[in-house]
Amino acid sequence: MKDRSAVNQTFSMDRWAKLMTLHWSVNRKRYLLAIPAMLGLLLVWEGFIVIENTFQPLDEGFQSLTYYVGLYTVGCLYASTIFGEFDIKAQGIVWLAIPASSLEKMLCGLVYSAITFFVVYTLAFYLVDIPMIRVVNGLIKNGHRTWAEGQPIDPVPVFHVFNGMPNDYLRHLSSLYLLFYFALQSAFALGSVYFKRYAFIKTGVAVAIALICFMTLQQRLIEQTLPQGWHRQFFYDWIIDGGTLHVRAVRLSPLLGAILGPMLLYGIPVIFWTATYFRIKEKEV
Amino acid sequence: MMVTIRDLHFAYRRRTVFSGLNLDLAPGHIYGLLGRNGTGKSTLLRNLGGFLFPRQGTIDVLGYLPRKRQPDFLQRVFLLPEELFLPPLPVRRWVRVQAVFYPRFSQEQFDKAAAGFSLPLEGRLDEMSYGQQKKILICFALATNADLLLMDEPTNGLDIVSKSQFRKVMAGAVDANNCIVISTHQVKDLENLIDRVTIIDEGRILFDQTVDAISRTLLFRLSHDPQETAAAIYSESSFRGNSLILPNHTGEESAQDLEMLYKAVMLKGAQLNLLFKP
Repeated sequence: MKDRSAVNQTFSMDRWAKLMTLHWSVNRKRYLLAIPAMLGLLLVWEGFIVIENTFQPLDEGFQSLTYYVGLYTVGCLYASTIFGEFDIKAQGIVWLAIPASSLEKMLCGLVYSAITFFVVYTLAFYLVDIPMIRVVNGLIKNGHRTWAEGQPIDPVPVFHVFNGMPNDYLRHLSSLYLLFYFALQSAFALGSVYFKRYAFIKTGVAVAIALICFMTLQQRLIEQTLPQGWHRQFFYDWIIDGGTLHVRAVRLSPLLGAILGPMLLYGIPVIFWTATYFRIKEKEV
Repeated sequence: MMVTIRDLHFAYRRRTVFSGLNLDLAPGHIYGLLGRNGTGKSTLLRNLGGFLFPRQGTIDVLGYLPRKRQPDFLQRVFLLPEELFLPPLPVRRWVRVQAVFYPRFSQEQFDKAAAGFSLPLEGRLDEMSYGQQKKILICFALATNADLLLMDEPTNGLDIVSKSQFRKVMAGAVDANNCIVISTHQVKDLENLIDRVTIIDEGRILFDQTVDAISRTLLFRLSHDPQETAAAIYSESSFRGNSLILPNHTGEESAQDLEMLYKAVMLKGAQLNLLFKP
């Protein structure tokens, strides 16, 4: 039995490039229509806020909210269709029959849904957001807008995806939101291979159930094993008498935190994409 | 052997399709896989193509394990499924982006086969009828020059002229190095095309003989003679007389009626198979 497990049977750049081209050719129309649709929706939404808010519309917080809601919603929706070929048996056979390896097929989906979509969506967001902020600042400056107390309203800065959230104490959350997005998005990509129909809804339900189970497990297993009066706070801290002057805390060692933290943050997408690869490999139609 | 199936067991959840199937397919032949709907023909082809996995037993195709779906294997084995899916692309663009995956693809062969079917190549795939889409896929399948071509009900949706063209095109597609397996329940469509008849029912091979062996062993005859009718293994009466399948003791050649053979196997398989025992 020929077991051509050489690297060439697992990954070939030439074959992968052909697969990427094929994916683009088949989906080009859909993708090219999605970009103006995204731009239009962002423009209408931000335009509506500019008209409605007569003080300081589109502040950084609002921009970040718009960015993340759009990213999470559209990104997960798109990811849940990335291996949608399996919705229809005939389409699934055609896709699996393409002479490319499962790894190449998974990587093709990953590049389009995780990387390309993120880049395109972020560019589309800024293509709308930057001119809108100019408009907003023009309105603030030319309209001599003030707060109700008479203080002048400061110009609005453009929200920076990689610079964190507007408030200092929330700054670290921006990268968390992004990392959580990639984790969630990878779960939806896995769902597109797992579920035959309604992958978006089914994955959403599965993720919700998994989160509830995780939280319940933490609550039941960890909280109940703690000494009387102690509670868990986030992942690394345990406190007693929280909110009082006698508060005491136990924290995991920084080394353990340094290992566990990145594993949780960066590991989930890796785990889900690996699961997607094996699922494609073992898929029967 | 190009394909070796040993002790194949396959089931869909609770429905067993194969339990211990053995089959060998050699290069240089066009195999006709005949059987009623739902008897496991498509399942067998999908197992051979690596789209379904055996629950037990082994399948060896060209020395590969189909379930691994290695790129080399997928380049050499092409499955034309019964249900089609073609993307909404212009025909020529689809051929261009798809053909690059098949090193032995011949554009000339594709164009020639398409011309034979009088296919318009300027249109879009999604604007074509089911029959036209099927013909495009048949042309593409042939042009890949795959070693093993698996065709599931390829004549479904083809008009009479196209069916005849299909037989013509397929007859010229087989050589000493490749093998074509055509599954169908429309037995007539494969007449004068296949050189080996495999009849499958309830997941079992009921009959598996070459056309030459059938010709040597059986005699297909229209008769009015009651004595001859009584001696027939299988008979059917029609307004022209009795169509008979008789043991061929004289080495006489006769035009085979696949449909009648199929019915004879279904009704008197054991008796028929005995004649082929050496």
